[in-house]
Amino acid sequence: METSESTPETETESETGSTSVERPLDAAFAAPEGLLWRRIPPALAWYRRLVTTAGCLAAGVGGGVLLLMWGRPLWAGAWAALALVVAAGTWFLAGRFQRSWGYTEAPAELYLTYGVFVRQLVVVPYGRMQVVDVTTDLLEQALGIATVRVRTAASTADARVVGLPLADAVKLRDRLAARSESFSTGL
Amino acid sequence: MPAGPGWGPPLPPPPPKDDIITGVFRAHWMIIPLQIIAVTLVFVALIGPILVMFGFAWVLFMALAVLFGSFAYALPSWWYGTFGLREDHLVVHTGLVLRSAREIPLSRLQAVDVVQPLLMQVFGMAELRVELAGGDGSAIRLRCLPKDVAERMRAAVLAHAAGLPGRAPQAPEWPFYRLPFPLLLGALTFRVPILVSFILLLMLATAFVVFLEPGVLGAVVPLALGLLRYYWGPLARYTDFYASLSSDGLRLRYGMFQRRMQTVPPGRVQAVRIVEPMLWRALGVARVEATVAGYAGARQGDSADLLPVAPRSKAFTLVNEVFPGSDAAMVPLVADRTRSVGAAGVDERLFVSVRGVFCRVTEIVPVERMQTLRLSAGPIARLRGRVTVDVDTPPGPVAARASDRGAVEGRRFLDALADAGRRARVPSAGTERWATRATMHVETGQGKHPVEEAEVSPGDTPET
Repeated sequence: METSESTPETETESETGSTSVERPLDAAFAAPEGLLWRRIPPALAWYRRLVTTAGCLAAGVGGGVLLLMWGRPLWAGAWAALALVVAAGTWFLAGRFQRSWGYTEAPAELYLTYGVFVRQLVVVPYGRMQVVDVTTDLLEQALGIATVRVRTAASTADARVVGLPLADAVKLRDRLAARSESFSTGL
Repeated sequence: MPAGPGWGPPLPPPPPKDDIITGVFRAHWMIIPLQIIAVTLVFVALIGPILVMFGFAWVLFMALAVLFGSFAYALPSWWYGTFGLREDHLVVHTGLVLRSAREIPLSRLQAVDVVQPLLMQVFGMAELRVELAGGDGSAIRLRCLPKDVAERMRAAVLAHAAGLPGRAPQAPEWPFYRLPFPLLLGALTFRVPILVSFILLLMLATAFVVFLEPGVLGAVVPLALGLLRYYWGPLARYTDFYASLSSDGLRLRYGMFQRRMQTVPPGRVQAVRIVEPMLWRALGVARVEATVAGYAGARQGDSADLLPVAPRSKAFTLVNEVFPGSDAAMVPLVADRTRSVGAAGVDERLFVSVRGVFCRVTEIVPVERMQTLRLSAGPIARLRGRVTVDVDTPPGPVAARASDRGAVEGRRFLDALADAGRRARVPSAGTERWATRATMHVETGQGKHPVEEAEVSPGDTPET
């Protein structure tokens, strides 16, 4: 495939596509024939861990202090413990979530897969892309990652590649934009 | 945009009648007295009661002041609110204090409507709406045009969008379907929610008469409002419904109090669904709704129906006309894993899915119009080894999906769809300037049925 060779990028992890003998469901979410999933670096997991831990910390401390002031130390402890459990759970899930992400550029479509609870495989034809943009918020900038978002005329589909290194994200955006131009067939 | 026509104050007078593609046009002059009367009446009704305390003369003077004030505003804003065609762009100037000029490339238009509300019918005026793909705010609405200007502008706009010179005559049309009023009335009545509401209403009315209990009215009012919305609404809207086919698309004319003439050019319909409520299946009739990229937001509900009530075979004929070169009824369907009616299928032109036990919905998406494809499996579906394939289209009534598939089957479905889409999306299949593109030419020619061809008089060839 011309796309996979033209972009020598650092891949943290890759697995074989539909060739291996797996459960049928894993085969259903495998990369298209002859391609591998490009995986996302672990910075995405750290991003999500930081965000969820900060949220849980704020909620746990705030709620705990409020309950203490109300004179319910037992409830305050329970609340803090709950916040801790949620933080630990999301900490663990963030790694799985990061590993569930994958994208690959087929000759005529962009394939994406993600999701821990609801597994998704999204196929976006290059000719259908209306807007390709790169966004990165403050924390993402600190971690050096960015999100590439692809918009189509259908507003229901949220097609994005999260947690890419900034340089890769910019390169991916340029490739996608160039292809959306050359494959374009109107609406 | 520095110097364009229409920015400088002295505008040339409208040219003689037969030349719509050059020159500058503006709304009907009747809009000025109508605006003045409306503003003055509102002023007298709202502020009048307060002013009466100062004496009747004050009311008169203030009303006169408002009258002249609104005249001083309405006259120049009418004069400067112009529109016209420049090559294949529609240029619209609006505003008096905050001038704005919009230039619309007509090859991108999605649909053209001529709308005549009751009041406008009285004064012989019409509104021209040019729908673009940008969503709710992007439609061009030219209000209160003289009727003939609106009609000729519609024809010129469509001709430009088709890539023909603007002076091309209005494309000939073939009658497709006229909805008889008894069928509309019968079909609208013969639905479970409507029948139940009617029976409830009658029971409540009887209870009111027998027991003279005013509390009953509390339930009558919402019922009556619902019937007004879902029974009287479509009844008044689709009275005198007439659909015809022409080389510049599907033309729909309908309405009792608000006359509408809708034109959907070829290739603008993104997806179609055929809805058959439970009782309608006994009658063998169906409703056809479509997703058109221009009809976004609030107008979606108004304009989505291509056929409000039609025999089932007619509905499928229309779908085949809208997506030429394919046959929706011939797509092989594969039932899903549940024991209900759900089924889906794909061939090289169309994706078709059927769902709904009571109200059967058949959704049809041409493979070259699919936006994204999604394969998903939630936690419960994963335990059962099921996946769902969603076919995304622009916002509209259609949401086609093949649900409850086995994992392997679902993936094969997705691959087949992606493959069909890849082959259908060749660059020559674009829909802009359809009359000058060879592919569209051939397809519209093939799509016509021999029956309709026979009704055309010899002079009316589809394309010039």
